[in-house]
Amino acid sequence: MQNAAAARHDAQEFEPKVVAFLCKWCSSAGSDLAGVSRLKYPANAVPIQVMCSGSVSPIYILSAFNKGADGVLVSGCHPGDCHYLKGNYYARRRLFLVQKLLQFVGVEADRFRMSWVSAAEGAKFAEVITDFVNDLKALGPQTKLKANR
Amino acid sequence: MVPVDDIRARARDLLQSGKVRAVLGYRRGTAGLLAEPAFMTTAEETAALVLDPTCVENLALYLVNEKKRMKHARQSDRRPLGIVAKGCDSRAITVLLQENHIRRDEVVVLGVSCEAGGMVDTRKLNKALRGKVATQVRFDSEGDINVSHLGGSTTLPARDVLANRCLECARAYPLDADFLFGEKVEERPYGPRFTAVAAFAETSREERSAFWDAHFERCIRCYACRAVCPMCYCDECVVDSTSFIVGPTTTADEKADRVRWINRSATRSENAMYHMVRAMHLAGRCTDCGECERVCPVNIPLRLLNTMLEREALEMFQYTPGLDAEQPSLISSFRDGDPNDFVR
Ligand code: SF4
Ligand code: SF4
Repeated sequence: MQNAAAARHDAQEFEPKVVAFLCKWCSSAGSDLAGVSRLKYPANAVPIQVMCSGSVSPIYILSAFNKGADGVLVSGCHPGDCHYLKGNYYARRRLFLVQKLLQFVGVEADRFRMSWVSAAEGAKFAEVITDFVNDLKALGPQTKLKANR
Repeated sequence: MVPVDDIRARARDLLQSGKVRAVLGYRRGTAGLLAEPAFMTTAEETAALVLDPTCVENLALYLVNEKKRMKHARQSDRRPLGIVAKGCDSRAITVLLQENHIRRDEVVVLGVSCEAGGMVDTRKLNKALRGKVATQVRFDSEGDINVSHLGGSTTLPARDVLANRCLECARAYPLDADFLFGEKVEERPYGPRFTAVAAFAETSREERSAFWDAHFERCIRCYACRAVCPMCYCDECVVDSTSFIVGPTTTADEKADRVRWINRSATRSENAMYHMVRAMHLAGRCTDCGECERVCPVNIPLRLLNTMLEREALEMFQYTPGLDAEQPSLISSFRDGDPNDFVR
């Protein structure tokens, strides 16, 4: 049996796993910039480079949760800056629905996030990750969609 | 309800003149109360055609099935198929047209309006009849339904026994029909749409989570919901990778490269995956025929998921599926004014 102090200790120790789908042209370059600028941000995010935020299928997100992610981030270029002109607009519409669906079945709203980060916004990338990880720490592990086969 | 004789006559005409190779409609079922779908290929057979509140099935499904069958049978009869379509069936046909799954000249739509009526929900009916077995159902005057059963008949208010989807139907007549039977009634007396979704969305996250956990736990993955849906027509579904065969020569690399998105085991997490993926695949495509929910053997409230996305599509993107075969689909289009404030 765990006492309250140990439970609190565990909560502090909890390091959320984040899967971050980053578009190659903006957000991924933004994360590189954060790195070369030596900005400090939590190392919880596993970046997965995709060609465009518009290429992120809802099943990528669900599958990430299924494989144990505590939070999923999709990040692309700001509207108007997409390398493929309108991929991020498609992504925005589609992922809006994914987000609503996740909330509807009872997944915490903070577990899924979408952001616009340009190649010049290293600081913003660090901030997005920091905020996300902090929010996820408050929520604890994700068990709802995690595979239990 | 519209006079069924008119529809019979039209179906007979079409078959006699050879304009269609078959007419897809309903006839009296042999098991239970519900009418059953029927392919009528001769003029004589049209005498059996019925239309009443027990014609619940979505016939658009049979267009999809027939297309598959034709392909396999290498049939050469290219004449169109006549199809009796209610509002919901016709919207499903429109989505199939929009997706170029079928061509407009492959169907002759005999559209029927539900007017102020709709289709019965047998679960509700059985409950209301308290054990009596219904043998026939028809609309009475003014929003009543008359049910005959062994040893008598009962009159029930329509809103108590109509399928939920009919209570929420916004357009109870086909928009795209070659022949239309009945009135185009815009105003229906059953109250606002999305009542169940709106109420459910108001509940706390914990309640929603527990609700769906309980239901996803119960799904037995029989895939009846997928089999009955006219929009689930992919040759290969993400939940069953039939085309990947593991044999003695399959290398470890090949196995590892193969992404298994969803496992088939009927556990809560995998069922949740299945249902969420299905809901997303139907966003902007599901025309709320309610068939998936009706056929589910364990009564999982699938309409709740689908209508939730339907409501979002309507409210956020002003999009209604099945209205116009020429418009781009929900997620293959966007507008500058789409919601953006959820993005950081
Ligand atoms: S998802 Fe259900 S309600 Fe929607 S079209 Fe398919 S069977 Fe009908
Ligand atoms: S939801 Fe119902 S119909 Fe669909 S697979 Fe599960 S048990 Fe079968």
